[in-house]
Amino acid sequence: MRALLPALLLLAPTTAALEPAARVTTDSREYCAELARRFATLPNAEAEPARSLAAEGVRLCDAGHPRTGVAKLRRAIRAARMGQ
Amino acid sequence: MVLWYATAGSLDRQTDAALRTDALGLIESWRGAGARGVAEAVAERLANDVEGTAIYVFLDPAGRRVAGNLDRWPRGVEPDLSWTFTTVQREGTEAEARVFAVEFGDGHRVAVGRDVAEKNRLRELLAEGIAWSAVTATLFALAGAALLRRAVEARLRPAAQTAQAIAAGDLSRRVPLSRREDEFDRLGESMNAMLDRIDRLMEGVRGVSDSIAHDLRTPIARARAKLEEALGGPGEPEALRAAMEQGIADLDHITRVFGALLRIAEAEAGARRAAFAPLDLAAVLRDVAEFYAAVAESRGQALDLGLPPRLEMVGDRDLLAQAVGNLLDNALKFTPPGGRVRLLARALPREGVEIVVEDTGPGLSPEDRARAGERFFRADSSRATPGSGLGLSLVLAVARLHGGDLTLEDAAPGLRAALRLGPG
Repeated sequence: MRALLPALLLLAPTTAALEPAARVTTDSREYCAELARRFATLPNAEAEPARSLAAEGVRLCDAGHPRTGVAKLRRAIRAARMGQ
Repeated sequence: MVLWYATAGSLDRQTDAALRTDALGLIESWRGAGARGVAEAVAERLANDVEGTAIYVFLDPAGRRVAGNLDRWPRGVEPDLSWTFTTVQREGTEAEARVFAVEFGDGHRVAVGRDVAEKNRLRELLAEGIAWSAVTATLFALAGAALLRRAVEARLRPAAQTAQAIAAGDLSRRVPLSRREDEFDRLGESMNAMLDRIDRLMEGVRGVSDSIAHDLRTPIARARAKLEEALGGPGEPEALRAAMEQGIADLDHITRVFGALLRIAEAEAGARRAAFAPLDLAAVLRDVAEFYAAVAESRGQALDLGLPPRLEMVGDRDLLAQAVGNLLDNALKFTPPGGRVRLLARALPREGVEIVVEDTGPGLSPEDRARAGERFFRADSSRATPGSGLGLSLVLAVARLHGGDLTLEDAAPGLRAALRLGPG
């Protein structure tokens, strides 16, 4: 065990370097769904252009383009908030 | 560097400012509503992140994720108000992120960041553009400097060649002028004027040396001949005394010539300017006229005065008196008995003074008038009259010392000498 200790110490930085990078979780269909739920709770969710933007965002997410869909849904939320 | 600081550097500063503001907002949320407030604020900000570059992760003291869009704490980031560049995974690829981390009091911590991949690409483009611009500008500057240097060298070459020729002893060379009338032509004109002036001065020095040798040889030879004659004679006291008196008179004449030359040199060098003082020129002229009035009277000539009561100026009293005395002496010397000499003076409109001496003598030809100021010059018609040819040279030197000039004009009949003096 004593003989293994220096080797473990040498390996320690390498292990840290091999630690995977944190992953961004908002480019996903799950986050799309979360944004769509948040959008639906807004008072102006049915007003244009927020409604169309949100619909387009959901459609893009369903079509496999979550990053673009998330961006549309965010614009929809901003448009709804600006209409308040 | 300035361009880089204003463009690419500005992108970094914008990102850091946004992160700092964001973090301060979350600290306020923590103080207001604790962990729940921070989680809601993070969710709200992520929902409003239209650009899609925001990165948040909020962990509890046990290291569990409470809110945010990172699945874990970003690697290499310490939660101690530190700024870090790290990498995050985005749709399977790694992207660089700028992160600012804050730890709250009870072990909760939050990392606020921005995906700076797009900004990095923009910065690289800017850097590339600036680098190419710098290289191009440097090349143009070097080419321009080389062209300018060649052009300046080409324009200065005639002046340099002339200077080299003059240094080698050819004083007749002058700088050839182009017809562009630019700075180089003005430099050439100045050099030529300087060379002409030097040439004239050297010519004058040569002329003065010749004249001194010529004019002093006569009285020295005469004194020597008289002394030799007395030595070889019968030794009568009267003859010896006459020879010695003649020798002393000749030596006095030589001393006077040297004295006059020294005074002219002093005046021309401006050495006596320190002796300038305010004076009433009218009084000085009256004193000089009083002395020469007796000479005029003894020759049957009339000396008329036209002087104002006072004539204030700044100058050298002794030199002015001698200059006017020389003019009067010349006028009386060349005016026949029964003739008239006038001494006039007046203040000029622009703070100067004019002194005029007019006579009714034979006057001077235009050629002689032009040369009358030269040292030892004597007109052919005056060879029989005693004099050294230095009188008008001194007058001219005194006039120039006082910022003025001497003008000789035909008074029909006679000569009109106008001595104009500056304000002093």
